[in-house]
Amino acid sequence: MIENFKINSSEIDKIKKISKEERNFRINNLNFFNEKGFPNKRQEDWKFSDLREIVQKNFKKLNVNKVNSKVKKINLIKDFDHNYIEVVNGELKSSNFKHEEKNKIKIKNFKNDNFLQESKDNPLICLNHALSDKGYHIEIEENYKFKKALIIYNLFTEDLKENILNSRNKIKIGKSSELHTIDLVINDSKYKFINNVYENIILENNAVYKNICIQNEKNDGYFHKFSKNKLASKSKYSSFIFPSGSKFNKLDLEFNLEGEDSECNLQSASFLNKDDHQEIKTKMNHLAPSCKSYQKVKNVLSSYGKGVYQGKIYVKDIAQKTNAYQLSKALLLSDNSEFNSKPELEIYADDVKCSHGATSGNVDEDSIYYLMTRGLNRKESVKLLIDGFLSEVVDMIKSNSIKKFVRSKLQGQIHGY
Amino acid sequence: MLEIKNLKASINNKDILKGLNITIKPGELHAIMGPNGSGKSTLANVLSGKNGYEISGELKYQGENLKEIPIEERAQKGIFLAFQYPTEIPGVNTNNFLKTSLNKVKKAKGEKELDTLSFLKLLKEKSSELGIDEKMLSRQLNVGFSGGEKKKNEILQMKILDPNLTILDETDSGLDIDALKTIADGVNSSRDKKKSFLVITHYQRLLNYINPDFVHVLSDGKIIKSGCMELAEELEKKGYKKIN
Repeated sequence: MIENFKINSSEIDKIKKISKEERNFRINNLNFFNEKGFPNKRQEDWKFSDLREIVQKNFKKLNVNKVNSKVKKINLIKDFDHNYIEVVNGELKSSNFKHEEKNKIKIKNFKNDNFLQESKDNPLICLNHALSDKGYHIEIEENYKFKKALIIYNLFTEDLKENILNSRNKIKIGKSSELHTIDLVINDSKYKFINNVYENIILENNAVYKNICIQNEKNDGYFHKFSKNKLASKSKYSSFIFPSGSKFNKLDLEFNLEGEDSECNLQSASFLNKDDHQEIKTKMNHLAPSCKSYQKVKNVLSSYGKGVYQGKIYVKDIAQKTNAYQLSKALLLSDNSEFNSKPELEIYADDVKCSHGATSGNVDEDSIYYLMTRGLNRKESVKLLIDGFLSEVVDMIKSNSIKKFVRSKLQGQIHGY
Repeated sequence: MLEIKNLKASINNKDILKGLNITIKPGELHAIMGPNGSGKSTLANVLSGKNGYEISGELKYQGENLKEIPIEERAQKGIFLAFQYPTEIPGVNTNNFLKTSLNKVKKAKGEKELDTLSFLKLLKEKSSELGIDEKMLSRQLNVGFSGGEKKKNEILQMKILDPNLTILDETDSGLDIDALKTIADGVNSSRDKKKSFLVITHYQRLLNYINPDFVHVLSDGKIIKSGCMELAEELEKKGYKKIN
């Protein structure tokens, strides 16, 4: 049991080559985290995911020490051609952009140069600001469209045990450029650990970014990611997330539609089983006129699986002609599974179209009956219905080879049901 | 093929079938006509094994007690129900579903399962026989299908699964003349000495095309009259009220 988890400021002194300004920034954030501790359900944003209780229940101790992990060879995906970077325990290890013009891409280890105190609401962000000393930074020049997708292999090594990792990543896509990424999590650790990520994505005018996140093997990891996304004028962002299988996973996604006519499309499909706890929290900030946003979150929950969706749409007074939509659908397979949904709209403009919807229910008995009269047994029928429920999201992926890849990953999971 | 003796069925303590008797031999096509609420769909549901009914009486299919056979095994043993209102199943591709279903039935029969290529060949053959647009089959199962498309899809499933006993539950309701002919052609081309049909309908229309061997009138949970095609014609003229 770790009742009062505090981190000594000597940890910051272990980070090499930092300016006085950076040191102060880190110390301030550390103090804030030490004062507040892990967030608990008394904080509105953590109402359905009491991380303090979860950590106290599941961790005897937590290590902030740096891990010196041996890098094993990652098995690359052979399903389609791609560029890739390898990230091991949050640290950028290698990159390969063989399909692209190298001078259009900059990649390096992330180095923070922004020491503005931006958040006091989320202690995990402060913890990240205090301790993160690794991550990647990718920058795409103007007018460059990637020819092949970029796969980010996120490997967690088998020697991780009760560690808490903090990393910080940044992707910046220049004017009229286009990048497609696939975030893939490979977890070799059999033990519990916490991975805390801060992500910053910037789309300049007319930029296009498409991202697919796949995290689907059963594992004992506890994940938290805060993602801050900035969309400039006429930029388009689309994200398909397929997270499941982790003991705890919270994705806190903030989208700032700062430029006119920018568009954001977020879709997610998860199968949560056996004590998985997952929260997707979004904040869609419409800050300029004529922007569009679309969110669709689908969850299938089984034996003690718990899912949460907190989605907020904020429309600033000048953001007229906003078109914003959010929908959450949950399919509950057992009495002890749980789904919480909290949609919020905060609108200060008068000429907007905003709508939201949330449904949750059991598998339709008439559908099961129909399938059974065609020779499938009950279990097979339910599986087919779950697959159909989640496939709606997968079907929105345009590339056939990637769609096939994602589908096989998702089906692998359902087959275990 | 099918022997029903003194079948009683109730749901939520409401008696619906009140002692129904019918025997269908291989090769025969029986039509059951009856007013709304007479128990026609209940009969179809009971035969396919739908849960929720209290059942008594004798129910035999190919000599076996049907009550002991679960829904999916009834399908595997060759009972097929064409639904009055086929269920829409989002996200499930019609093609894939048909293949899964056929291979389940084949496996149960001890036959070799079909690979995708030979399945698609079979599907193409059967759907062109019925004049079904193949595009429909790459859509989600029954989702956004018109009434006619849904019914045609049921008949296509019947053709593919090749059952011994087919039950058509008001498959003709709400169809235009052309769709009605498609359904009738589908049934007629499947008829042979071994296969039996139970056609549930409100109208004589479909029966004109498929020539039933027997026509029964179901009223208040019982068969009150049996005969041949003339009975259907009489019903059409006089209505149900005057038949006793």
